[in-house]
Amino acid sequence: MSQITPALRKAFRNLADIMIPGTDTMPRGSDVTLHEDVLDRIMELRPDLEEGFVRGMTAIAGMSAAEGKEHLKQNDKTAYYDIGLIAASGYYMDPRVREAIGYPGQVSNPKKPAPVPEYIANGMLKRVIDRGSIYRPTPDTD
Amino acid sequence: MASGDQNVADVLIIGGGASGGVVAKHLTDAGVRVVCLEQGDHVDPSEFAGDKPEWELVSKKRWHPNPNRRDIETDYPTDVRDSDVEPMMYCGVGGSTLLYTAMWMRFLPSDFRVKTLDGVADDWPITYEDLVPYYNILDEELGLAGLAGDPAYPPGQRMIMPPHPIGKVGMKAVKGMDQLGWHWWPGSNTIPTEPYRGRNECVRYGTCSTGCPQRAKSSFDQTHWTFAIKNGAKLITRARVKEITVNDSGLATGAVYIDRNGRERRQKANVVIMCASSIGTPRILLMSESGKFPNGLGNNSSGLLGKNLMMHPFSAVAAYSEEPLESWLGPAGHTIYSLQFYETDKSRGFVRGAKWGITPVAGPFSLRGGQDNDPIINAWDDGIHSVFDQTVGKVFEWGVIAEDLPEEHNRVTLSDELTDSDGLPAPKINYKTSENTRKLLDWHIERVIEAIEASGCTGYTVSNPVRECGWHLSGTARMGTDPERSVVNEFGVSHDVENLLVCDGSVFVTCSGLHPTATITASALRSVDNLLQNRYNQRVPL
Ligand SMILES: Cc1cc2nc3c(=O)[nH]c(=O)nc-3n(C[C@H](O)[C@H](O)[C@H](O)COP(=O)(O)OP(=O)(O)OC[C@H]3O[C@@H](n4cnc5c(N)ncnc54)[C@H](O)[C@@H]3O)c2cc1C
Ligand code: SF4
Repeated sequence: MSQITPALRKAFRNLADIMIPGTDTMPRGSDVTLHEDVLDRIMELRPDLEEGFVRGMTAIAGMSAAEGKEHLKQNDKTAYYDIGLIAASGYYMDPRVREAIGYPGQVSNPKKPAPVPEYIANGMLKRVIDRGSIYRPTPDTD
Repeated sequence: MASGDQNVADVLIIGGGASGGVVAKHLTDAGVRVVCLEQGDHVDPSEFAGDKPEWELVSKKRWHPNPNRRDIETDYPTDVRDSDVEPMMYCGVGGSTLLYTAMWMRFLPSDFRVKTLDGVADDWPITYEDLVPYYNILDEELGLAGLAGDPAYPPGQRMIMPPHPIGKVGMKAVKGMDQLGWHWWPGSNTIPTEPYRGRNECVRYGTCSTGCPQRAKSSFDQTHWTFAIKNGAKLITRARVKEITVNDSGLATGAVYIDRNGRERRQKANVVIMCASSIGTPRILLMSESGKFPNGLGNNSSGLLGKNLMMHPFSAVAAYSEEPLESWLGPAGHTIYSLQFYETDKSRGFVRGAKWGITPVAGPFSLRGGQDNDPIINAWDDGIHSVFDQTVGKVFEWGVIAEDLPEEHNRVTLSDELTDSDGLPAPKINYKTSENTRKLLDWHIERVIEAIEASGCTGYTVSNPVRECGWHLSGTARMGTDPERSVVNEFGVSHDVENLLVCDGSVFVTCSGLHPTATITASALRSVDNLLQNRYNQRVPL
């Protein structure tokens, strides 16, 4: 059973907002519900991250988010890394964030290669060919 | 080598990866009764995450190339306490090619004559020319997409289809190479640009190294196992081989394996062919020690089984461009490559050389080091938004594959600390990067930086060396004519056990600075050809 309590979620929300602050163009961590459904989805995909998450968030209970971040960085690198991975990957999976940074994701793009590639049309490859062969042939060993 | 007993395979293949697939397809084409034992499962392309939003997150675990990170029960872990480099692999039908990037390159003629030309290591007992007919068959079977006429190669290689677009990433890198007057060439990949032999055309997901969800890439489950199974090959999955058995005359009689329910079973055979990779094969043969073969099977004459492991130490420079490069577009392997500094020039202070390749850097976390996630942590401190603003879609990487030379102290033995999920000893890897390799990498990285600067990039970060880079494994059961200096002959036949063959990269004498799978499979095919030609004279146990 999940050990992620509402209190840990709340603390994660605060931590996520200082790890991923909002800007004029970018939402902050909590704007993309990192601490809610996104956290649940990540735990489904990567249950191995739960242990570090729970340990780290429990250890910094009662600290301010900034203190908590520093504490983890100094004292529990694994938890720091796991929590960071959860926050950052949840954030960059969000379609709004992807749109804001101009990243379409890894999508199907079935474009055919150009019949004459640019490097042939502009003579760049010909310069390589004109410099001649550069390999060493099999030596005669007899 | 055929047997009347239905329980006895004519040929038993150990390992259902690339070399196993080629061996199985070509033997069954010739009517040979084949059984293969593979410890992993079939993977359906729909299981890969490349076409899903969670791709990078999931890839850092389930589809990571390092078995120690993946940590699934069908893998074996590797004991890497004493290794500078960690081996990368996948265990399943198709083997490591489920995760390979399908950069398909032949070795060069000089690669087979290192001793004669450069006075180091040993020559192979075969030449480039010996492998050409087999390279040609594989280019065709896999559907090689590329451009013929590279002056870094002997003439004559035919491409099956046109190369993939090199994209903005490739053009940016070419700018630097062109200005410096250095060799470059569009990458050759066994990834079809049009539908080919049951595989779909590539749609450029760019996730090839974590599995192709499009069924386009030439993983050997798709290119060879499908056909071998149609031919009647019996492929038993979740079958972990613990021992190759021998009889009193010293002939191999089959294998003992642990099935998916944890039961020990036996498979009898007339000929056994090891295709378990350059880590898996020596591990199994070392586990098969007996009174007759006290140091591991096939290791009496040379004592070299497991030794001379080569892993292609790798370094890379990530280059940052101001303009967007759409660097998420695949294929994930080299868009262009360079062999400018491939051949030996002793004035550089080292021998041999390296292949360079440009790879696009796909999603936010795909930067080098992304596999161990350092950039994410760094990004917190530098301000996550500015870091990703500078990198996403704007980064490419020059990777340098160093040719490491065979050294006996670099080796695979059996771990006394770590076991797999069946309790069998994990392979223990001892690997130290040599001084020649260090000098080679440092020198090449300096040249790569010159190329990046000439291409007008605004910055770069260097990873030299990368620890988790052992994608290319070879050398642990080397071929040769002298039984005291090699484990198998030029056709992969054990010098000590007449009906035992090794057909994976273990047989490499030296490893070149190029991707190995074309040469692994061409050499395997040459061995199959020889076995078939001599099938009626083959001594068998049963
Ligand atoms: C991420 C990555 C990228 C790569 N990119 C390229 C590339 O672009 N170009 C290139 O040429 N090469 C590349 N390679 C290397 C390429 O994948 C290998 O050279 C090739 O797969 C080796 O073939 P093989 O048959 O020797 O071994 P594998 O394909 O690894 O197959 C060995 C099989 O043996 C099985 N096995 C091992 N032990 C046992 C046992 N005890 N019982 C039963 N089964 C066992 C394993 O489960 C495995 O399936 C890459 C590799 C990786 C990991
Ligand atoms: S780029 Fe092509 S080969 Fe690679 S994963 Fe995508 S579709 Fe498959």
